Amino acid sequence: MAHQETKSVDTEKIKEMLNQRKGTMKRFLSHCAHCSICAESCFLYMAHNKDPQYMPSYKVIHSLGKLYRKRGKVDRKFLMKIKGMVWRNCVLCGRCYCPIGVPIPSMITFTRNICRSQEVYPQLDETSSESWL
Amino acid sequence: MIVAERKPFDEIKEMTKGFKKVLNVGCGGCTSICMAGGQREVGLLNEELKNAWAQEKASIQIDAFTIERQCNADFFKELDQIVKPYEAILSMACGAGVQFVADRYPNKPVFPALNTVFVGVDRDLGWFEENCRTCRECVLGETAGVCPLTRCAKSLFNGPCGGTSREGNCEVSKDTPCAWFEIYKRLKEQNRLENILKVKPAREWRNQTRGTLIQEAFKTRYAK
Repeated sequence: MAHQETKSVDTEKIKEMLNQRKGTMKRFLSHCAHCSICAESCFLYMAHNKDPQYMPSYKVIHSLGKLYRKRGKVDRKFLMKIKGMVWRNCVLCGRCYCPIGVPIPSMITFTRNICRSQEVYPQLDETSSESWL
Repeated sequence: MIVAERKPFDEIKEMTKGFKKVLNVGCGGCTSICMAGGQREVGLLNEELKNAWAQEKASIQIDAFTIERQCNADFFKELDQIVKPYEAILSMACGAGVQFVADRYPNKPVFPALNTVFVGVDRDLGWFEENCRTCRECVLGETAGVCPLTRCAKSLFNGPCGGTSREGNCEVSKDTPCAWFEIYKRLKEQNRLENILKVKPAREWRNQTRGTLIQEAFKTRYAK
């Protein structure tokens, strides 16, 4: 984990990845009507006493949405923060339901790929020291 | 969870022999959780392979890419683009994932870097134990939650045999607990000892053929 926290971030690589799917991803983000219907289809949201952090829309808007808003210019602290959002708060079961058809799991997957490109991913043998847990 | 372990290094190295460009694909699912085929393990294996081939002065490019799950087509979008220039793929998924990758890229050789060992549980960090052989005829309700197929050395469905020691160990090894001794103890505790007297008929062993499962609610959706 120490390696994940100290390595520099290749913002150009993140920008390149964001640009590759900019059209579709930004369209999906803008299509979210904030209706919250996706919330109750998430078992983690229900299991965590309806904590808004577990709402599928929240997870996407505060991870991928912010990456686009910042145009990829993010630091490692930010990536470590969204790591919790896209790994701990989402198991990618693919059961989230959006009435408009926004493919939330594929957006989470994309965010994970961006994190992975910067060597940010769960360190499963060091869970006790993972700051995002 | 599906549990896997890495194949012996020489076996993996031999698979990559003769190729100039190989892509090692990690899986973010079960094999990542059992610390056998996630992004970190892909990186470690690639370093070992690069060093080994460099020592033999062989020119080989081995790159890495990890997708969230190799057993679900939804996660292959980016890999579809990346995989094109590679001559061969090394997959660090379970056997199901390796086959899924091989089906998706039929013109490329796909090699398994892992051996899928069992369906099991996490006992502790890095310690996994087999608990299910997916036999499709679960008897755990009758055996107080102890699987005789997995945990009895002889996989007996009508036990115990005569090889149980007084301490409740198996004749195969003193360190192996007898599953049927465990079943007896638990059934006794639950006042359900009559279960052990029921003779279970011979099984159909349907898992000798390839399985497909469509949950009840989806049957009309996939009806042919």
